[in-house]
Amino acid sequence: MSVVKLQQVSRAFPVGNKPIVALDKLDLTLEKGEFVVLRGASGSGKSTLLNLIGAMDDPDGGEVYIHDQALSTLSDRQKSKLRSRYIGFIFQSFNLIPVLTALENVQYPLSLQKVPNAQAKARAAEALEQVGLADFIHRRPNQLSGGQMQRVAIARAIVTKPDIILADEPTANLDSETSTQIMDLLGELNVQTGLTFLFATHHDFVLSRASRVLELKDGKIIKDDKLRGLTSVKTKAS
Amino acid sequence: MLKLKLALLNVLRNGRRSFITLLAIQFGVISLILMGGFFASMYEGMRENVIRSQLGHIQIYSEGFNQFGSQEPEQYLIDPDVLKQVVEQVEGLEQVALVTPRLNFTGLLTDGSKSLAVIVEGINPDKEALLSSAVRLTQGEDLFDEDLEGALIGDGLFNSLNLEIGQSLTLMATTADGSFDARDITATGAISTGTREVDNRFIRMNLKHAQELMYTQGVTRLVVLLNDTNQTETVMALLQAQFAEKGLALELRSWSDLADYYHEVVNLFDGIFTVVQFIVLVIVLLGIVNTMVMAVMERTPEIGTIRAMGATRFEIISLFVSEAFILGLIGSVLGVVFSILLAQGITASEIMMPTPPGSSQTYPIRIFTESDLLLKNALFGLAIAVISSIYPAVKASRMVITQALRFA
Ligand SMILES: Nc1ncnc2c1ncn2[C@@H]1O[C@H](COP(=O)(O)OP(=O)(O)O)[C@@H](O)[C@H]1O
Ligand SMILES: [Mg+2]
Repeated sequence: MSVVKLQQVSRAFPVGNKPIVALDKLDLTLEKGEFVVLRGASGSGKSTLLNLIGAMDDPDGGEVYIHDQALSTLSDRQKSKLRSRYIGFIFQSFNLIPVLTALENVQYPLSLQKVPNAQAKARAAEALEQVGLADFIHRRPNQLSGGQMQRVAIARAIVTKPDIILADEPTANLDSETSTQIMDLLGELNVQTGLTFLFATHHDFVLSRASRVLELKDGKIIKDDKLRGLTSVKTKAS
Repeated sequence: MLKLKLALLNVLRNGRRSFITLLAIQFGVISLILMGGFFASMYEGMRENVIRSQLGHIQIYSEGFNQFGSQEPEQYLIDPDVLKQVVEQVEGLEQVALVTPRLNFTGLLTDGSKSLAVIVEGINPDKEALLSSAVRLTQGEDLFDEDLEGALIGDGLFNSLNLEIGQSLTLMATTADGSFDARDITATGAISTGTREVDNRFIRMNLKHAQELMYTQGVTRLVVLLNDTNQTETVMALLQAQFAEKGLALELRSWSDLADYYHEVVNLFDGIFTVVQFIVLVIVLLGIVNTMVMAVMERTPEIGTIRAMGATRFEIISLFVSEAFILGLIGSVLGVVFSILLAQGITASEIMMPTPPGSSQTYPIRIFTESDLLLKNALFGLAIAVISSIYPAVKASRMVITQALRFA
């Protein structure tokens, strides 16, 4: 069963009287455990695609399926629940809640799932340990470096054990060394947990981690390379 | 748990804005408590004044007096034997401070040159002195039982006739059997009941002397003073039952039944209070809605993030409403505390109030802080905060997630 499936998905934005076509009749299927790098120049439609898969935006044509569930049939509330259960987000500017500590930030998506407080705390601490921040759990975002903040955001994305993690240029605000560390971390998590990643970037250095590289141009997929066999990932994951 | 903590932290996050919101809520709560507390003290002052100058707490009449007594007052007097029985019975109740008879009639007062229509009240001077503690002697001396001819003249009347203490006057009246008679009285003092209209036409004289003039042994009414105004209803019910049991043809009226003017003033001021309440509501609402909308705008990326993580619209609404609830709670509690302090300060300052409407006496300002007034206005403050957060909260919940996230 595919985690994500897009059929003939189009999305256009009305700008002036001539709409800008951000995605043009796109077909795409993502399988469990894939580490997909989504490349493309700025304005090629990467964010638009991630937003549609993340059930935060609606296509103008075609259908997006998460777990074979057609998103167009869902209410806003059902989409919220679907995001909470199946999707993790990592953003370019980290998007941590400034008043909460690292631990509380990671706990927050669990509290949306109504996980009991003590249990949520334990799971959040565990996720922070997985991203190497065991010693920083009580710090606020403004007491952390950029790389540390993004690690907290990663912990927050994985703590709910989603099916897919959508990362929209998560290293764009980080220096290259930190970016590499973050990429290593995501790669490890992919291998260790079998999590599916969809990773949008316009940098090339991430390619070594990828199991599949998609290239977008003007709203169309112009290249779809599978780099390493999925089976190996699955073997390591299981 | 974490959600509540987040709401609390958000309240603390922008101190200046929360402070402004708190000030607005406190302004609302304090102004309404002080105004309500002032009105309550005014109502109580009016009530106790009218009770202790004219009405007592309960009045007892012969049956039919209230319906027909104004046409033929002499037909509806309480007979002496009934009077004695009733007085004993009423005096036996522990809630009763005293009971005293009055004989009321209209007459013509003349000083030899001028004549004026007057309202006369024959009283039992010793007991009446205790009951009518709000009747002030403005000149001369009080009545006493032994001085049959003595009379107290309302000070408006006293001044308009240009009287002097000790001056002799003639009082004429229609007697109980329909003829016409006159008695001499002596002005021993001038009194003020607190109600100007009454003071312009009012005379009090010795009951025995009044009865002689009217050719009767009866009285118009028995006036009962209780230890506490709150006991009025209870004692009314008690007496009603006792009179029915003994077969006494009497009827009862409470001060509230008789104090039309009091009720008119209370209704008027309650109306004013409602209007002020509405104005305060609008002012505070406008003040808070604005700051809350700003708070929502400022946190646009955060709202997008939380929505992306799977928060429903309702959860966004409840986040902002709970922040408002916390602010409302703090604002109301502070408002109540400051109100109590201010009320005590103002009351202790003993600033004299302008004369109340229809009254001829002034009082120092007093502000009551009864618990139901405090509770009602604390809830009012809480409600304002929550109500004013609904529009911004809904606005936040309706944000387009992808657009909200772009502000990150
Ligand atoms: N909300 C929007 N309104 C108007 N145009 C938009 C909007 N979002 C995206 N676009 C346009 O759609 C195209 C694709 O944008 P985007 O998906 O953000 O590309 P990328 O993430 O690859 O840089 C761009 O031309 C962009 O200007
Ligand atoms: Mg983008």
